Formats: sequence, structure tokens, C-alpha cells
Amino acid sequence: MKSGSNLERVITAGQFAVTAEIGPPMDANAEVVIEKAKVLKGYADAFNITDCQTAVVRISSIAAAVLILREGLEPVMQMTCRDRNRIAIQADLLGAAALGLKNCLCIAGDHQSFSAAGRLKGHPGAKNVYDVDSIQLVNILKIMRDEGRQQGGDPLKTRPQFFIGAAWTPLGDPIEFRPIRLGKKAKAGADFIQTQGIFDVEAFARQMEKVRNLGLHEQTAILGGIIVPRSMMMMKYMNQNVAGVSIPDQLIARMAKAKESAGADKEKAKRLQEEEGTKLAVELIEQVRAIPGVKGVHVQAIEWETQIPEIVKRAGLYPRPSAPA
Amino acid sequence: MEKNHPEGVGLAASCMAACPVHTPTQAYVQAIAEGRYEDAMDLLLSANPFSSVCGRICHHPCEQNCRRIAVDKPISLRGLKRFVMDQTKDFRKTRKRQGAPANGKKAAIIGAGPSGLTAAQDLAMKGYQVTVFEASDSPGGMLGKAIPRYRLPFDVVMEDIADILALGVELKTNTAIGKDLSFADLRQQGFDAILLAIGLAQSKSLGIPGIDSKGILLGIPFLRMAVEGVPVKLGDKVVVIGGGNVAIDVARTARRLGAKKVTMVSLESRKEMPAWEWEIQEAVDEGIELMPSWGPKAIQAGKGGVRGIELKKCTRVFDENKRFNPAFDESVTTQVACDNILIAIGQGSDFSFLQGSGVKLTPRGLLEWDGETFATSVPGIFASGETVTGPGSAVEAVASGHRAAEAMDHWLQTGTFKKVPKEELPNIGELPKEVAEKARKLERVEVGLTDAGKRVQDFEEFERTYTEAEALREARRCVACATGAVVTEELCAACLTCVRVCPFGVATVDRTASTPAEKCLTCGLCAAECPAAAIALSRFGTEKVKQELARLAGVKKDKDKPIIVSFNCIYEAQSRRYLVPGEEVLGKDGVLRIMVPCVARLKVTELLMPFELGAEGVAVIACEEGECVYPTAEDRLEVRVRRAKQLLDEIGIGGGRMDLFKTKGSAEESWEELWEESRNKIKSAGTGAGAEVSR
Amino acid sequence: MIVAERKPFAEIKEFLAPYKKVMILGCGTCVTVCQAGGQAEVDILASELRIADRQEGKSREFITGTITRQCEPEMVDPILEQVKRDQPEAILTLACGVGCNFLAERVGKVPVFPGVDTSFYGTALEHGVFAEMCAGCGQCILHLTGGICPIARCTKSLMNGPCGGSNKGKCEISTEVDCGWALIVKRMEELGTLDKLTEMYAVRDWSKSFHGGPRKLLIPSVKIAAELAAQAEETTKPGAKS
Repeated sequence: MKSGSNLERVITAGQFAVTAEIGPPMDANAEVVIEKAKVLKGYADAFNITDCQTAVVRISSIAAAVLILREGLEPVMQMTCRDRNRIAIQADLLGAAALGLKNCLCIAGDHQSFSAAGRLKGHPGAKNVYDVDSIQLVNILKIMRDEGRQQGGDPLKTRPQFFIGAAWTPLGDPIEFRPIRLGKKAKAGADFIQTQGIFDVEAFARQMEKVRNLGLHEQTAILGGIIVPRSMMMMKYMNQNVAGVSIPDQLIARMAKAKESAGADKEKAKRLQEEEGTKLAVELIEQVRAIPGVKGVHVQAIEWETQIPEIVKRAGLYPRPSAPA
Repeated sequence: MEKNHPEGVGLAASCMAACPVHTPTQAYVQAIAEGRYEDAMDLLLSANPFSSVCGRICHHPCEQNCRRIAVDKPISLRGLKRFVMDQTKDFRKTRKRQGAPANGKKAAIIGAGPSGLTAAQDLAMKGYQVTVFEASDSPGGMLGKAIPRYRLPFDVVMEDIADILALGVELKTNTAIGKDLSFADLRQQGFDAILLAIGLAQSKSLGIPGIDSKGILLGIPFLRMAVEGVPVKLGDKVVVIGGGNVAIDVARTARRLGAKKVTMVSLESRKEMPAWEWEIQEAVDEGIELMPSWGPKAIQAGKGGVRGIELKKCTRVFDENKRFNPAFDESVTTQVACDNILIAIGQGSDFSFLQGSGVKLTPRGLLEWDGETFATSVPGIFASGETVTGPGSAVEAVASGHRAAEAMDHWLQTGTFKKVPKEELPNIGELPKEVAEKARKLERVEVGLTDAGKRVQDFEEFERTYTEAEALREARRCVACATGAVVTEELCAACLTCVRVCPFGVATVDRTASTPAEKCLTCGLCAAECPAAAIALSRFGTEKVKQELARLAGVKKDKDKPIIVSFNCIYEAQSRRYLVPGEEVLGKDGVLRIMVPCVARLKVTELLMPFELGAEGVAVIACEEGECVYPTAEDRLEVRVRRAKQLLDEIGIGGGRMDLFKTKGSAEESWEELWEESRNKIKSAGTGAGAEVSR
Repeated sequence: MIVAERKPFAEIKEFLAPYKKVMILGCGTCVTVCQAGGQAEVDILASELRIADRQEGKSREFITGTITRQCEPEMVDPILEQVKRDQPEAILTLACGVGCNFLAERVGKVPVFPGVDTSFYGTALEHGVFAEMCAGCGQCILHLTGGICPIARCTKSLMNGPCGGSNKGKCEISTEVDCGWALIVKRMEELGTLDKLTEMYAVRDWSKSFHGGPRKLLIPSVKIAAELAAQAEETTKPGAKS
């Protein structure tokens, strides 16, 4: 065992893994996190806590991770390269390990100009760091864990034992390069991968074939990203604006139909779309699971974490193999 | 910041270089285009006192060398010259010329032809007391005595001559030296120098059988009779012997005097005929037949006089040494029936009056003469014009007169001889094909001619002068050679803007930019857009704009009449109305007009400048949509005007105070309306700006 | 070359509001090329100021001119002379930040204001369109990325891009911005060197960039001369080893 985390154990045991995502609040309210933790407990093998996603200031991933750890959930902390240099990163990693965190997802981080796609004020004028990139970050964690030294060379007596994760955008541009880049992440030390949300299963399957040809599916555990669509508007928005997310027309059409069948009744429309979205999420989980080389799914229900239990149940993934110790 | 404003590019336009007197051709054409006809007149007369005459009869080597030939057709320079002289007739009479104060020396000039009178003018301007002796009753030489009135009315000749005499030159007509006054007596009269400018008044004759028959006339006397109105009776069929310009004049005069069939017989082949091509064409249009490559053999005559002439085939005119040495095939002959034979085969001078004077002749009977010092064998006696150069054009005679005067002046002041060779100007050369291809073709405005059938009936001038609109339109075609863009290399940042902006591919950058003078078509776009302000045109620049804007000083504001400065393109003017500045600064249009040769060359700073000096609005009036002579210029101007408007917004006085208009039809037709539109716009912008200003 | 943009007029006007005699100085190199601060722009700005003054009933003296470069001592010296002579109360320079710094340090008791916002090292893609190409990082790695710079042209300066935000060749931050790594991948495909990108490019040493502090550079001959001088000084010091 590299980290001894629950996620690692499930994956190593060859069982289909499930991770889910929890988004922390934009203020100092710990209760929100704890509530979500209570709702989700038992429905995934580990829970990602996002790190200032879309460059919006929220409770830090490490702090929120500790909050859910205390509720008995296993966190996957996220570390972006945008806000911290290698010194702060390593300091935070040591601290995270000391606080009992075992899983870490290494990502580049959305550019500070994002501010939730302009819907919030955010901090577009902040100076970004990007001292290291996500692949280099994976490698830093690996060196710390496996070679017992800091990136600069100083030794680590007690090593942070992380299960190292990285993100992958299988359908991102340039698409031919994406499998190669995945290889870099695996080589750098990524133990598990969580992909960007998949809607075009066929296209994802084609990329997975390339990945299998490179043998990468054996080097790192790929968990397919599943974003739960809540409305037609959300699907359209994602399709147009989120890089690497490509939604086939028929799926959007399904959602549109659900909306239209409610007529003018807004409440009904909301309900019908949410039901359709849930159905869709479940289908996607099943289809992605069927692709050889996929070792699990990573379920994201933005601001709708409460729906995750239902989805996991309907997908036949409940109960989870084991609860954390 | 106009320290780099050039005077020119150091080369002469090829029209000017080709002119025997180096008339500043490009400069006077630009003056016409700008409505400055009086300036154009001054420019013309500065080189050629016989500008009115040459405006009618010059063979215009300038046109033959006009660089616009590479694009379409040459500028009609002679026509424009005539236009200027016609327009400024009265001005010329009233304006006074001041020469140097009298220096106490006297010069005598024998012969009041173009070379003698030109020398007289130059010497008089230098302070000499000049007396011109003319054998006949009127001055002008061949101009008045031989050139037919349908080509050159006498009052035109007198326009030029009167201007020369007005300098205080004494003219003694009816004074033939050798007859009315001996050469020896002349020399007793205390002249410090004498110029022999007697021309080629004697017509040559032929030594063939029958030459003494009745009905045969020599060319010059014939022309003189026609000119003086002496009745000459000609039969229906006339043969003219000769292939030069005099022969053409003789033939055309014969037609006008009633001859029904006029045949020109010349030794030269059609191509070799020395007469000007267009003259030959006009003669042919008038019904004159040509018989090139024939020589006179014998004249047949009967009781009444000439009956016909026998001709022999001329096989060659010039020999291997390019000398006049005709050869004939005596076995090939032909017969032409005719009632009169007019002989125009060449002229000479009568030097008999010089016997015993010490002035030597050559074995061939010509004056012994130095072509550079203009001196004869007797110091103080000089010669100029056709008498020593051989037959030539009027303008060449003028050139000869100028140089002779310079040589004489030097001798008179120093006692030594000065060589005055023909001045060669550094010629800008041909317009390269790759540039000419990109220039916009413009149709030449042809000078109107009376229909050939009509014009043979009399001696009226058959050539019409340009109307003002025609002259302005033709002047616009001038490329303004040798006044193009000049780069100040020390300022150039090699930023490539000029290269990208030039519509003709002229500008290049090596270490610094280069705008070769022989390629530049003077559009001014590079100068307007150079970020380093390193390019200037000698033709028009910021200094001129500043000067004209200075007139705004002291103009009071009027609530109902905002002070508007209007930049207008000269090329849409069909008259002088807008080209000349008005008496009042703001004119009755209420606008300070600044005329610009192509408004697309205005820089952004020039567009803003009026506001610095008190203007409340600026109107830019360009040519009609699609009419601008320079490709892409209209669009570039629009971008610049918009930038200026943005800057005016930035300053707070509002971009609405500036507008770009396009002429509709012509300046006279549309500008007043456009100014009215501009006034209304600016008045309404006015109320807003006042509030915005106090930031 | 250095690319800059002229500051908004309102800002410049405010800088210069207290002064009655102002020198406006342009630079004949980079800012002339990017049309922010050459002689033509000096003239335009002076004109704008005069017009604005006129609206307010003010009249001030403006001394204008341009020198070849404002970052060269010999070229700036004549300006220093002129400042002493003409005594402007303030100088508005249209040179890039380098020129402004250089002038400000040398000109004595005259405030120097920047007339342009200096932005980047860039190239002209076409007439009048400039794009950032280089970050001046001090440790060029263009040989590793097909000649296209990931530091200057990737928004996140990734060494191992592209990130997941690359969308149809454009960066996640804006469709106006090319994804630098998309360009790199394309180019290296063209060159047949894409396999270089299968290896992780190691963490960078940023100390050679301005993160390591303001940099100075001596050309080799000057460096050597300085070393020789130092050596000479060593041997002539009292107690020095002979």
C-alpha cells in the first residue's frame, strides 16, 4: 500500500471505485460542509473537496477535507498550481498528511480570470503562481513519498504517504495528444486519474482504446468523470463553454423534451429535468463502467450533492465495498 | 518639426530636363492645379519669355518625355501653357518687372527674332541699355513673318514681345544693317557688344531646269506674303518641295489660299521626314498628299508658266557618315502636273553686310563661331540663334538667346570669354513599368481642333484653348515627378509602415526606409502615416497647413457661425472659385478653406491643428466616392479621420466636430451644401462640448 | 520588440495638470514601431494637450522632440543638457518603462511621467497587430518546444501542457488567446519531434527570471575587463600575495 487509503484499497482489490465531489462554501461556515458530509456518508469510497474551483475563494480544500474526515468520510484533497508556489505546496502537503489526509488530486487550476465564468466578482486581478504545473506536482508528491525528500533536495524523515491523483480531459484539444499526456502523468507518478465529465461515451471509448494500447490503464487507475446534469440550460452551457466537455445532441434533446413536457409549469419542469438528469447520470455510469480499462467513476453534482446517494443506488453501486476504518 | 521638409529630391522631372530652356514644367502644372495661374505664368516666363508663342507652336519635347507616357498618355503641356498665358494676359501687362540698376553699358542686337529678343530681355534685366535693330517693319522674325497665322496669330507674338520691350529695350524697325545702316556705322555708335541674331531669312532654291518659270515661289517669301495678306494667286494644283516643318506650313497655307490639290514631295521617306509627326498628320487631315522619297529633276513650263514637274526616285538621303548626301535612281521617274511649285528645302543667312568687318566666315559660308562662348572672330561681336545653330525650333532659339546673353554679360563685365554650354539637368528618368502598372489611368483631355474640312477655308486659329475646367482636369493628371517622398534616415525606425502603406510598392526598407524618387508617385500616404514623422513630401506639408491656419488668429467667435476649417481636395475644383484664398478669412461660406492636393495625405496632427488655433469644427472634403487618383487612399483617410474624432472625444470636445465628406459631382456643385451640413452638425455639437470641457 | 500602448488622455492630462512648462519626449525605436510613442504620437499628444488647454482657457509651453532611444546614455545626455537649459517643470515620456526609468534616474529634480503602458515583448503579426512572444525568463527552452514559448504563450506557463482548458486551439481564458501548448504540439508534430513531449519537463528554476530579483547583464568583454581590474586591485592591495 502506498497510502493505505480506502480508495487505494478498493482499487487495488479490483473493485469498481466510486468517488464523489463536495464543494465547500464561500464563507467560514463549517456546518455546510458537515451537512453535506452527513448526507453523502457511505455512498462513495472517497470524496473530493475542490480547491477554489473556478478561482473563487472558498474554504480551503485541506480545511474542508479535515472537516469531513472528522465525520468519518475519506477525503480526496485537491491541490492547484495556481495559488501556491512549491514551498507552500509542500508545506501544505506535509500539513495535510500530518492531519491524516491520504488522497491528493493534483491539478493546474482554473485561471484567476474565471471568477465562476463572470457570475461572481472573484479576484481576476490576482497574481497567479503556476510555479510548477500539475504533472510536476504529481512528481513532487511521488518524490516526497517514495524518495523521502523535498523537491529542493532536503530530506524528509517522516514521509507524506499520499495516494496521488491527477485529472485528465480525454476529449480535450488537441485530442491526439491527450493519451500521450496521460502517459506523462502516469509516469510522473499518478496512482489514479479522475477524468473531465463524459457525455460522449463513444468518443471516450475511442480514447480509452488508445490508452489501453499504451498500457496506461494498468499504470494508473482511471475513474470516469460523471457530471450530473440538472437542467437543459446547464447541459447547453457546459457543452458550449466547458473545454473538453462534449455533449451529443440526443442527450440534450432528451433533456429538452423533459422540460417541454411540463409546459408552463416551472416547478414541474424542474422536477422532470432533474429526474431526466438523474436517469442520464445513471446510464452514463453504466456505459462508462462497461468500457475496459475504466476502474471507477467520479460523480460530480454541483450544488446538488444531495442527489448523489440516489444516483449511486440506481447505478447499483450501493453499498460500497467497505467503510473506512 | 518640419526640419526635414525637402525642396525637392535633387532630380529634375524629365519634362523639365527635356525642355531646351528647362522650363519648370512640373512646378507650373502644379500651380495650375492649385489655381495659381499667375504663379504659373511667372514660372513659365522665368525660363521662356516667348511662352505665349510657345504655347501655340512649341514642338513640346516635354510632352514626348512626360513620364506619364508609361501609364497612359503624356500631359498636354503645350495646351496647359497656352491656357496659362491666355488667362494671365491682363495680369502680365499690369505687373511690373524690375531689373538690375543701369550699369552704363550698351548692347546692340541685330535681328528681333526669338533668340535676339530673349538675349535683349536678359541683358536688360542685368542693367544693360539694349537696342534691337530689325530689318523689317515688325519684330518677331520667323514668328511673325513665316509661321502661318492659323498656327500663331500675330497679336500673340506681340504679347511676348511687348513684355520684353517694357523693360526699356529700344526697338528700331525698318533698319536693315548693311542697307539702312552699315555695319561699320553701327560699330561707331558706342555699343560695348553686338549680337548677330539674324536668323535664316533666305530661302534656298534648286538648280534644276525650268527653275526660272513663272509660278514658282520660295517658301519663306511665300509664307511672308500669306502672313502679310499680300494676295497670292495659286492654281488648283500645287506641288511643295520639302519635307520639313516649313514645307508643311507652306503646304497648309497653300490649301487655305485655295489650292485644291496640294502635294508634298520630299527626298525623305515618310519616316525620315523631319517635320513634327502631328504636323504631318494635321496636314494629311487637311487633304495634303505626300510623295516621299522623290527628288526634283526638271520643271516643265508652258506659256502661262509652270505645267508640271518631273521627279526622280530618291534611294537614300543620308550616307554612311550620316551626312546629307542624297542618292537617286535616275531611271525611275514620274511626272506630276501642277500650276505652282513652292520650294521649301532649307534656308540660309545673308552675311554680305559683314564684308570688311573682320567677322570671318567659314569656307562653307557660315559664321566662324564658338558654340560655347558664342563669340565670333571679333571680340565683342557674338552670334546666336538659327543663323549659327542651323534650323531649329522657337524654344531652341530662346535657349540660344539665354546662353548668349550670359556669355555676353560675362565678357562685358570682365573682358574674358565664358563657356556657356547647354545645361544638362540630372534627369529622373523613365517611370518604371511595375509602378506605372499600378497607377490609375486617366483620360487625357485633348485640345479641341476645328474640323479639318472647315479649317482649310481660312487662316483662323484652328486650335481651341482649354476651358478652366478642362485645364484643371488635365493638370490633375500630372504625377508631380521629383517632388515625392523623402526619408530622413536618422529618424527612421524601419518599422515598415511605409512599405505596407504604399499602394505602388515603391517604399522598401533595408536598414532604413527608402522611397526611390524615380518610382514615387507622390501620393503622400507614407508621409501621413510614418510613426517617426521621418518622411516628408516637397510638394505639400505641415508648414503650409500652419501658414494657412495662422489666418484664424483674431477671428472672433460667432454663436451662429461656428469657425469651421475645411480641408478640401483641389482635384474636384472646376474653377478657381475655391482654389484661391478668399479676401476674408472665413469667406461668405463661413469657412476657412485650406486647399490640399489630395486630402488623403493629411496627418492626424494636421487634422487636429485647427482646434489648437481656435476652430470649432473641421470638415474634410475628399473627391467623389471612387474618384481618388491614389488606390487605398480614401480608406486610409477615413481611418485617420476616425482616429482624430476619437482623440477629440478623448480630449472632451467631442468627435462630432469633425467630419469627412465626399464631393458630389464637383466642388462648385456640392461644397456649399456640405459646408452647410457641417455647420449644422457642429452647431449642435457645440452645445454639448461646452459642458464637457470643464473636467 | 517592446510593445506599449499610449495611456488614456485623461490620465496623462491629470499627470501634467500642475505644470506650466512640459517636455514631451518620444522614443525612436520600439514605441515608434508599435505607434505608441514616436514623433508622430508626440505631435498628436501635444496637439491634444494644446486643444484641451485652449478649452480651459489655459496656455502652456510644450517642448517636444524624439530621440533615437531613451535607454542609451549617450542618446539621453543631450536631453539632460536640454532640460538644464530649458527647465521644463515636468517631463512626459512616451518611451517604454525602460526609457522612463532611465531618464527619471538621470534627470535631476524634474518629475518624469510615463506616457505609455509598457506591456510585453512581442512581434507584429501583421501591420499594427502585436502579440506577446517572450517572457524574458532568462533561461530559454524554445529548443524543447519547437520554438514556441510555453512561458509567454501559455496562460499558466505550464511546462507540460496543454491543460484541460484548451478548447479548439484557444485558451480557456478567452477565444482571442491561442492555446500556446496547442501551437507547440502542432509544431512539434510538424517537426516530427513530438516524442520529446512524452517525457516530463522538470520543474523550472525561476531564479534566473525576474523572480530572482532585478537582473543585470555584462557582455563578456566587459565582464573580463572587470575581472582583470579586480585582480589588479587585489595584487596592489597592501598585504596582497605577490
